[in-house]
Amino acid sequence: MDVLNAINLSKSFGTEKVIDGLTFSVPEGSIFGFIGKNGAGKTTTMKMALGLIPADGGEIAVCGERVAFGRTDANRHIGYLPDVPEFYGYMRPKEYLKLCGEITGMDSTRIKARSDELLCLVGLSDANKKIGGFSRGMKQRLGIVQALLNEPKLLICDEPTSALDPVGRKEILGILRQVKDRTTVIFSTHILSDVERICDRIAVLDKGKIALSGTLAELRAQYRADEFVVEFATMEENNQFSALIKPTEQTETSATFRTRDMRGTQARVLAILSQNDLLPLRLEVIEPTIENLFMEVIL
Amino acid sequence: MSAYLAFTKKELIESVRTYKLLVLLGVFLLLGMMSPLFAKFMPEILKSVDFGGMELTAPEPTAMDSWTQFFKNVGQIGLLALVIASAGIMANELSKGTLVNILTKGMKRHTVILSKLTVAALIWAASYMLCLAAAYGYTAYFWDMGELRHRFLAFFSPWLLGLFLIQLLILGGTLFKTFIGSLMLTGGVVVAMSLLNIIPKLQRYNPISLCGDNTALMTGVKDVSDFLPAAIICALLVVMLTAASVVAFDRKQM
Repeated sequence: MDVLNAINLSKSFGTEKVIDGLTFSVPEGSIFGFIGKNGAGKTTTMKMALGLIPADGGEIAVCGERVAFGRTDANRHIGYLPDVPEFYGYMRPKEYLKLCGEITGMDSTRIKARSDELLCLVGLSDANKKIGGFSRGMKQRLGIVQALLNEPKLLICDEPTSALDPVGRKEILGILRQVKDRTTVIFSTHILSDVERICDRIAVLDKGKIALSGTLAELRAQYRADEFVVEFATMEENNQFSALIKPTEQTETSATFRTRDMRGTQARVLAILSQNDLLPLRLEVIEPTIENLFMEVIL
Repeated sequence: MSAYLAFTKKELIESVRTYKLLVLLGVFLLLGMMSPLFAKFMPEILKSVDFGGMELTAPEPTAMDSWTQFFKNVGQIGLLALVIASAGIMANELSKGTLVNILTKGMKRHTVILSKLTVAALIWAASYMLCLAAAYGYTAYFWDMGELRHRFLAFFSPWLLGLFLIQLLILGGTLFKTFIGSLMLTGGVVVAMSLLNIIPKLQRYNPISLCGDNTALMTGVKDVSDFLPAAIICALLVVMLTAASVVAFDRKQM
């Protein structure tokens, strides 16, 4: 089942068309990486899914319930973590979570139990000072707690790691991976290594449309390795080798082959190496990274 | 309903912890005490000041002088303090984005408006009642109070005007998302109403007159019919402004 369905979505700000015929869906139980350049429309799409801004055309449904601008009914399925979550600085974390819980109609024992559990999960159990004194990372973690409080079916995180230091990022990603079993996660980012670390499914947003989407495994297979690098210790060896078989690209000490016939090329290269008693430092088939894919589809 | 109560509780906590409640109670207590004291000791103050040989004498003050001071203080410094303390009521949350978490929890947008209005009205009522109680106490101590005619309408009218200003601030904050926008709209309306008040025929319909000649109502110089139309119009305007705020907020992009 799909937790989120967007069909033919469009949105303009003034004359600028930010989202243009966007269609995608997020299956239950996935960690969905929503990738795009800054200003690609990631936040806009998420806000439309939350009914915070109106779509110009198309529709979005969350758990089968259509989202309408200004109405908050479909939001009961969703936990939302904004890019910079803002809290009431004069409240303590537990007071804030109590407010959130009461708004969603949870009873007080459940609020207490969930708050304790989640604060422990994000490592804020002992933070009892007012939220006004929290660091950016602490606010981000409290943001995750408030988003997950009422056990939503879908967690939407808007660039949850962009503003954090490497340690904070790693922690947030770890938390997202932990909640995956119970909640579908959509998270937007432009940090591609984060996507490779935890996502099982991605969509690349470019020029208001999905430029690329699928599971990571599918995409890796589809854009299969077609690059092969041979590196030598010296320039002489490299020149001797390149004279025998012409590489696609040649630098001082390395030769790169780009080919559709990876097996054949590899076999020929290895044969030439052994016949001429050439010992390379490195032989490598280059796996496509998300970064390569990303560059390929948006450039 | 649980969301309304939860958010109302949050508004109360906010007013306590940001010292808004304390400041308003303090200001209005001071105004309530000042009014009768000022009326009582004005003649003596005048006597003690040297006006270059010219002697100014003031008539013996009465309870009505105290009430005149009271309505003047509440209507000027009091309402100004109320407006400044309440101008951020909607604007602060919208400009900071603190409502995003709340709304995405499924809280209805109109509940936010109603909740904020409820707490602001309660705080204003508490401040005003403290002011009134202090003024009443001192006035009764210094003078024979005599008969106060239509006292309910006379004392209720300023509160109603204050409520109107609060709801204007909520609408302004919703529309413009800023403290300044909120103040500008309210200030603009007050200036417009004050200008309209120059026309004598319109005075009895103008909400701004609800905190002016209230002593005239208590002494019987003016009648209920001089105040009631303005009070009814003011109450209707509060309802209409609330509805407008709800509609405006429903259409607000967050």
